Amino acid sequence: MTRSWPLIVAMFLALGGLSAVAGYEMAPPRAAHWREIAWPFPRDGWPAGRAFRCGSTECGTEVEVYLRPKLGFCNCDSGVADDDEVDRVADVDMISPRFVPRKAGDAVRVADMPGRIRAYDLDGHRTAIGIAVSHRCDLMAVAAQGSGDAARVQQTTLKFLEGREIRTWMAAAMEGR
Amino acid sequence: MGGRVTAVCCTFFLALFAHGASAQQKIGDPPEASNMRLVGTNDLQARSAYQPTIHHQGDRWIAYIGHHGGTDDMPDPVNPMTGRPEPNGTSIVDVTDPAHPKYLRHIPGQEGKYESGGAQMVRVCNGKDLPKGDRNAVYMLRTFGSEAHEIWNVADPANPVLLARIGDGLKDTHKNFWECNTGIAYLVSGAPDWRTRRMTQIYDLSDPAHPVKIRDFGLPGQEPGAIGAVPTELHGPISTEPQGNRVYFGYGTNKGGFLQIVDREKLLNGPKDPTPDNLKFPEIARMPLSAMNGAHTVFPMPGMPIAEFAHDKDGKTRDIVMIVDEAIQNECGEARQMVWFADVTTEAQPMMISSYTVPEASGGFCERGGRFGSHSSNESMAPVYYKKLAFIAFFNAGVRALDIRDPYHPKEVGYFIPAITAATDKRCVTIDGKARCKVAIQTNNVETDDRGYIYAVDRANTGLHILELTGAARAIAGLP
Repeated sequence: MTRSWPLIVAMFLALGGLSAVAGYEMAPPRAAHWREIAWPFPRDGWPAGRAFRCGSTECGTEVEVYLRPKLGFCNCDSGVADDDEVDRVADVDMISPRFVPRKAGDAVRVADMPGRIRAYDLDGHRTAIGIAVSHRCDLMAVAAQGSGDAARVQQTTLKFLEGREIRTWMAAAMEGR
Repeated sequence: MGGRVTAVCCTFFLALFAHGASAQQKIGDPPEASNMRLVGTNDLQARSAYQPTIHHQGDRWIAYIGHHGGTDDMPDPVNPMTGRPEPNGTSIVDVTDPAHPKYLRHIPGQEGKYESGGAQMVRVCNGKDLPKGDRNAVYMLRTFGSEAHEIWNVADPANPVLLARIGDGLKDTHKNFWECNTGIAYLVSGAPDWRTRRMTQIYDLSDPAHPVKIRDFGLPGQEPGAIGAVPTELHGPISTEPQGNRVYFGYGTNKGGFLQIVDREKLLNGPKDPTPDNLKFPEIARMPLSAMNGAHTVFPMPGMPIAEFAHDKDGKTRDIVMIVDEAIQNECGEARQMVWFADVTTEAQPMMISSYTVPEASGGFCERGGRFGSHSSNESMAPVYYKKLAFIAFFNAGVRALDIRDPYHPKEVGYFIPAITAATDKRCVTIDGKARCKVAIQTNNVETDDRGYIYAVDRANTGLHILELTGAARAIAGLP
């Protein structure tokens, strides 16, 4: 029996270590002033993602960001090819089905993934940002909304997505973890 | 006691690993079968296969098989008939003797890998059936990768001749439908100015050498200039031609799917400008699936007599549409994609009545590797199987034969899971940042011919498997 315990203890230590690593990777981002909120949308074809809010006092304007991986939803070779694709996949339609692009979108890189970003008017008085970036055949969809001007909402959103912890989470989520 | 604790731990882990290992296919393992038998095979030059279409051509039977693009490891497999590497395109195989299929010709497709290249879709019509066709010609309509559609004369299937090309510069193509008696073709395309990758371009191909465009069709919100949410993209239509006057459109692949029922006459002859009102005009109804499922194939079976309802005063026959979702993710990384039956007798209010899936536990399919779930069904309406048996391609669960005579209670009556070969490609998932790959059959599409042979093709490069029914399943079809 004495000889068996070191083996069992080692197994549990190894499992504990793996759990700790997984726990770290799945932990909420701790970027200043952002707090995680419940996923605010009804269930659709994709599993729920994560949602975050930053108040106007902290971010200069109130912004909510929603992000989730869409695995197997992207052209494996060309990635996010055009603005129409951002309109289709970036989840802005969950905020409101009536969104109007303010102008042509731009290329963007988020968490080392290339894609496109585009700003929209929502119902005439709010702003939304749609971001779609891809890795191989998989997509990370990001939608954001805010009450400030579009440039500010976009800047605030991108700054949030640059955070180390949220980038770590995105990388893990793109692997289905 | 220490020995016992160790033994329990080891047994637990061994059992865990053994369960996974037992499900996986190995080269040399026999196929798994029930009431189905392998008649013949062809390796299709180890090209990933999509749509097979089997055509009775004079006194021969010819299989035309579309291919996806190549793989990372083998972007352009060598064609042994030419000795040259060729991007995957269309395989033409003489299956007159199904035990000894003879590969006749490979027509290269668009350069590109996986869904981005190849020539996935193929349909074939006789010139003598088309209103303005050359009576001596046999026409093959195929996609050319994502960028165009092509029409070939395959009267001599070993020496096809390109006649016409439609729609260069498309964003995508997919599962077309062609009415051989009228020439009307519903081409799944991505018109550059539309907001979706896949909508419908309708052409008059009654004279296939001279295509005439009729209209663009899609869902309001997909048309050029629209704003706001973009509806789910098309997967493919099937028409019941003028006598049925319906076109059934399946939207979605593995998510957000629905069946759209369209009045064919209004579609072809109604107002054609792509305005929201004009796009709505021919629509009779839409029936949504769960947001977790898509509609790859929508196969109509109007006027099915239902034995259980035979003594009822009303509703003895029902109009049924079989809807097949497409699984996309390897190793069950998504909601189950399966088969659904809709009763569309009251067209404005279609209703889902039953479903079918392969029981996962019957083969440990989530652990075998590759995709598990449905992809497509046979689309032949030849009397031998129509409204009696349906054949479903179920990826690593092979081909499943369903008794659909009572579509309220579909029942599996046979299956065939081909053996893997050295050509079978791996399928990977990412675990802890690293690819973990397994090799498994990936039966992708299935078609039948008027003789009752069943043709299954593999997405993971294993080739063509020609099958026949045996036992109780064969008796359902009335085959000797």
